[in-house]
Amino acid sequence: MTAREGVSPAHDEPFLVERVRQGDGQAYGTLVERYSDQAFAVAYGFLQHAEDAEDLVQDAFIRALEKIDSLGRGSLFGPWFYRLLVNAALNRRKYLARRQTQEVPDAVAGHESPVADADRAELRRQLAGALSSLPTDLEAVVILHDLEGFKHPEIAKILAIPEGTSRSHLWKARRQLRDRLQEFRRPD
Amino acid sequence: MAERHDDPPITEIEALRAPARSDATRRQLTERILAAAEPLLARRREPVSSWDVLAGWARPGLVAASIALLLAAGALLTGRMGQPPAEPVTLDEVLALSESGEAPALLVSFNEPSAEAFAAAALMEGAPSADAIESVNRGEINER
Repeated sequence: MTAREGVSPAHDEPFLVERVRQGDGQAYGTLVERYSDQAFAVAYGFLQHAEDAEDLVQDAFIRALEKIDSLGRGSLFGPWFYRLLVNAALNRRKYLARRQTQEVPDAVAGHESPVADADRAELRRQLAGALSSLPTDLEAVVILHDLEGFKHPEIAKILAIPEGTSRSHLWKARRQLRDRLQEFRRPD
Repeated sequence: MAERHDDPPITEIEALRAPARSDATRRQLTERILAAAEPLLARRREPVSSWDVLAGWARPGLVAASIALLLAAGALLTGRMGQPPAEPVTLDEVLALSESGEAPALLVSFNEPSAEAFAAAALMEGAPSADAIESVNRGEINER
């Protein structure tokens, strides 16, 4: 499932949302199946930890159910849900930063040599550090766009910002990231 | 400005992408979410009685009534406070005949006079006798 499918208007979505309002578990399950993969990927982009990302996705879906009455009639579930998710991710990361156990980021695959794995782990650490040091609005745009493939009109809806702002945020974010990663880049 | 936003993506960022997950892992997450959501969904399925609807309105209703009461009390108080206080008048002034020889000036008081005081005033008609004045002075008419 692509990001675009996740937020594009689905014909049955207002109907599904209405049924969820009545407590229909099947309709809710359809929405969960439709969005959970992409939601996990976005959550992972922020947290860089699979279990934390799963917990976050679960919390975001529960929060969405609690607040479903505040979603306007005929409004799309996707952008509204992703906005909840991104806000929850930023809050969760603040909480985790306080906990700060500095775990080694997971998904460091051991397919290559130990040296290559160590390099990858270091790169990931650097990238994650550089990304989370960005202002949150820039970080959200770069994760949604460069990591998860959302388009600017979709990001604008999710973050409730103008499309132009999304573009300029991305430009600034990439520049700042490049500056921060400059030292780590290996010469080709 | 188009090229300003055409800055190429940072390729290394791919390293931060979520790892591929097995179908079992994905299914587990979905089941976890649905299990956690079930109590909330069940609550939504419960039929809503008209009493529940009324109860739902009770709190905003009480708040609105309290606000209205406070506003009314405030308006009443400011109205009272805006009025000039009644001028105190001595009993002699009240009972004195006007220059044209008509009835005495009206009594200014927040308390209604007693029936006996009215009777005494009626009996006086014209020049009040010393006894009548005395009976009034005994406290049957509040000077304020």
